[in-house]
Amino acid sequence: MSQEEEETPQTTTTRRTTRLSSSSNHTQNETLKKPITNLPSLTLKNLTFTHNNKPFTYDDLISSLPGRKPQIAEILRLLGPVNSPLSPLFVYGSSSTGKTSTILQVFKYLNRPFVYSSCRSCYNARQLFDNVLNQIMLHRRNGSNGYSGVKKCEKAADFVNFLKEGLRSVVEGLDGDMVYLVFDSLELVRDWDKSCTILPLLFRLSDVLKVDGVGLVFVSGASIDTYHSDTGFVDPVPVYFPDYTEEDLRQIFMRNQSNLKLRSAFLDVVLKPFCRVTRRLDELSTALSPLYEKYCEPLDDLSVVPNEETKRRLFSCIQPHIAPALNEIFRVKSQQSLEAGGKEGLKRKTSSKKFGTSDSIDDLDFHMSTSAKYLLVSAFLASRNPATLDASFFDSTGGSANQKKKRKSSEKSRDLKEASEQEMFMKGPGTFPLERLLAIFQCITSGLEDSLEEEEEGLQGGTGLGGNGGENSLMSDILLQVSSLCSANFITKGGSCPLEGSTRYRSTVSDDLALKVARSLKFPLSKYLYRR
Amino acid sequence: MSLKKAVAAEEAVVLLRTRICNPNFIFSLFNDSSDSNYSKLKFIVSSSVTEACNNSILLLGPRGCGKIAVLDLVLEDLLKEYPEMISVIKLNGLLHCDDNCAIKEIARQLCIEHELMFSKMASFDDNSQFMIDMLRECGLAHKTVIFVLDEFDLFAQGKQRLLYSLLDAMQSVSSQAVVIGVSCRLDADQLLEKRVRSRFSHRKLLFLPPQKEDLQRLAKYILLLPTDSSLPPDYVLEFNSRISNILADKRLIEVIDKLSDSDSTFSNFLRFLFSAVSYIDLKTGLMTLDNFKSALSTIHRQPKLDCLKDCSILELYIMVCMKRLEVKEQESYNFNSVMKEYKTIHDSFQTSDNYSRSVCLRAFEHLLERQLIEFADRGHNQSIEFRSVKLLIAPSELHQGLKSNRSCPAILQKLMES
Repeated sequence: MSQEEEETPQTTTTRRTTRLSSSSNHTQNETLKKPITNLPSLTLKNLTFTHNNKPFTYDDLISSLPGRKPQIAEILRLLGPVNSPLSPLFVYGSSSTGKTSTILQVFKYLNRPFVYSSCRSCYNARQLFDNVLNQIMLHRRNGSNGYSGVKKCEKAADFVNFLKEGLRSVVEGLDGDMVYLVFDSLELVRDWDKSCTILPLLFRLSDVLKVDGVGLVFVSGASIDTYHSDTGFVDPVPVYFPDYTEEDLRQIFMRNQSNLKLRSAFLDVVLKPFCRVTRRLDELSTALSPLYEKYCEPLDDLSVVPNEETKRRLFSCIQPHIAPALNEIFRVKSQQSLEAGGKEGLKRKTSSKKFGTSDSIDDLDFHMSTSAKYLLVSAFLASRNPATLDASFFDSTGGSANQKKKRKSSEKSRDLKEASEQEMFMKGPGTFPLERLLAIFQCITSGLEDSLEEEEEGLQGGTGLGGNGGENSLMSDILLQVSSLCSANFITKGGSCPLEGSTRYRSTVSDDLALKVARSLKFPLSKYLYRR
Repeated sequence: MSLKKAVAAEEAVVLLRTRICNPNFIFSLFNDSSDSNYSKLKFIVSSSVTEACNNSILLLGPRGCGKIAVLDLVLEDLLKEYPEMISVIKLNGLLHCDDNCAIKEIARQLCIEHELMFSKMASFDDNSQFMIDMLRECGLAHKTVIFVLDEFDLFAQGKQRLLYSLLDAMQSVSSQAVVIGVSCRLDADQLLEKRVRSRFSHRKLLFLPPQKEDLQRLAKYILLLPTDSSLPPDYVLEFNSRISNILADKRLIEVIDKLSDSDSTFSNFLRFLFSAVSYIDLKTGLMTLDNFKSALSTIHRQPKLDCLKDCSILELYIMVCMKRLEVKEQESYNFNSVMKEYKTIHDSFQTSDNYSRSVCLRAFEHLLERQLIEFADRGHNQSIEFRSVKLLIAPSELHQGLKSNRSCPAILQKLMES
């Protein structure tokens, strides 16, 4: 502390130094005094996978990527012998089918130099150019060059020029060996800013560069016919990665397991029903791993080989859990279940869940402040009810006057009701301006304030002023809460009204969630909802 | 013996692949006749070089028909014939469509040609003044500057300042320049502004996709190994005789016909040959007809059907529901209506595949990723459940996909037909 005070009188410059900046200057000086350990600079050898003195054979390659033998064979024959020129390759398939890992492992097996850049981590053209150039020119970002890239490259024209230089020097350095450029996640480039020029440029890169000894490999999640271009481009050679079949999935899930028989018994039971829902490897593995733990729960000794009887017993234990697991996307352990020690909480939850219906848990899984809950309910009401009916719903009698007498509905009104329901399905929740949300919120919470006031009066005999002051101080908090609800995606910004120019909001909570929130507040939501 | 053969086979494969990936080699086949594009282009450019006049020409044709390749061959030959009289500046519409960028690139290439220092800080005016001066100097020295504008139609977007300044600079007496535009749009000259078009000589060379006989000739030209290379002569003899047999075979002619019926450009044929060459079994080192047949199936892929084969059963259900909604002539439907249809199917047929809404939403998102369905509106205002969607595959494709999917339940097929 005293050091900082010494600093600030010393820096009597025209610039006003804040406490923070003077303290950061201080820490910067400290770090400069420490020795900076640099990583070794990059050489041409870094362009190939290092082997760690263990040779990587063809069998290793096949066994590390189960179910991909035909695709590996196809890629190997297309890449061809050493230093054979390559027509651009286009590897495609849906996600988590092993495209990237296959390509990388193939290059590891062939021991050929390559430059890998992913269009997911390089989120625009400039980043992509930077990444490729840094790797080609063997540049590592570190403290000595200020963590900057090797060349400042904004435009594609500069990129091509620098790349030509870099590739020529690399190919010379490698004594004429070929170097491969791998572009991963190419489907994301379609959503970039200047994708109409960048995509054709990437596909024609070998023609544009006119450098011998460069091979291009594109990895994409979408097939080539989804890449739309004005004047088209020359198609690369396609390699298709189909999704894993059930046998392949089984082989993958059997890897690295301590008890193979137990795992195989588990997969016999579980894999088929889950494959009906999805065959993507990442989703299956997140769904199956907690189930496997549950499957192994009744066993005392995990290394035992199960016989038929054990298998039947384990099956009967796991069966009630399979159907609920099929119906949920992922399970996040909520605070309540963790605190309650698991068993009781789970019992309550499983008893309230019915077989095959939609997932509805009685209690909210997350915590929200009371005012935020009221805001959420007001937003829901504002989206569902038409604005013209607000006056009748939220009048001083609390909306009880709205209960129409039930009349026998004629056929025409029933048709109208169906049509309006259909419209409701299609249109979705409506938009509302901020003032309407705040007005509804005021109406709802004023009732609450009154009841609170009555309690207070009963207890302490306080005046009404306290209530008013409390309301005013609540206002600024509410606007903050609206913005936090927006960032949590409970309320989204809809289009703005062309006349007024103010933004309109829309509530995106489902009916179930709104009902749950209202129930936790003991708020009679159904009384306020407009029924046509 | 077999090792020698394997080495020879590998060398042969590398040689063939090098030939296929080298456009100069391929298009030099068609340059012998006098009315080929090569000779015409060569005549035009060489006459403007020798007669010291300005000229402009457009090379038009579909992608992959050899425009740039023939141009490169012409320029190579002319550089050999008239050294020191030609300098070539190459611009690409994908990279240099912005005027500043283009002029900077022209200045940079001129500097490299004439070994001058290029300053990156020079402004647009400096660079354009430099270009005009250089053109004048080259003209006085009787040196022709050839501008090659690849993707010419992209230069014709916007204000066409670069085109105007280039063509205008050519109008002066002291300059000797040839502007060669290359484009895959056959109406590229219609894109030009009036003032640019008036300065442009309306010469066009049309590059057409090859005829079937040309493809045969090309295949023979590429695949026959040269007898005077480092490969063992008996292997070369065997390989060449095998190739001649295959090329004369009627079945191969059928394969090539099928290929060129869908896409008859050179680039497609070269992709096919590349694939076929990669199928060569390195143990025997010889090509067979099956190599060509497998290459055809690799090139002729049907991505949407492959996708459908990979879909899970829930995804197939969702697509069948969408198709049923379309049949019921609902003009627009969204995820909620699809869910309603899904529930009615399950209520009436009591299937075991009744899953919760969130799981169905996830399967719906998978279908969106695979581009089998798509949002029909452009706004992002609504959440994903309320935006209207449409199927991107025809009912017949869906039917075919259901049949080819191994685990498709019979009820889905029934629902498709009803």
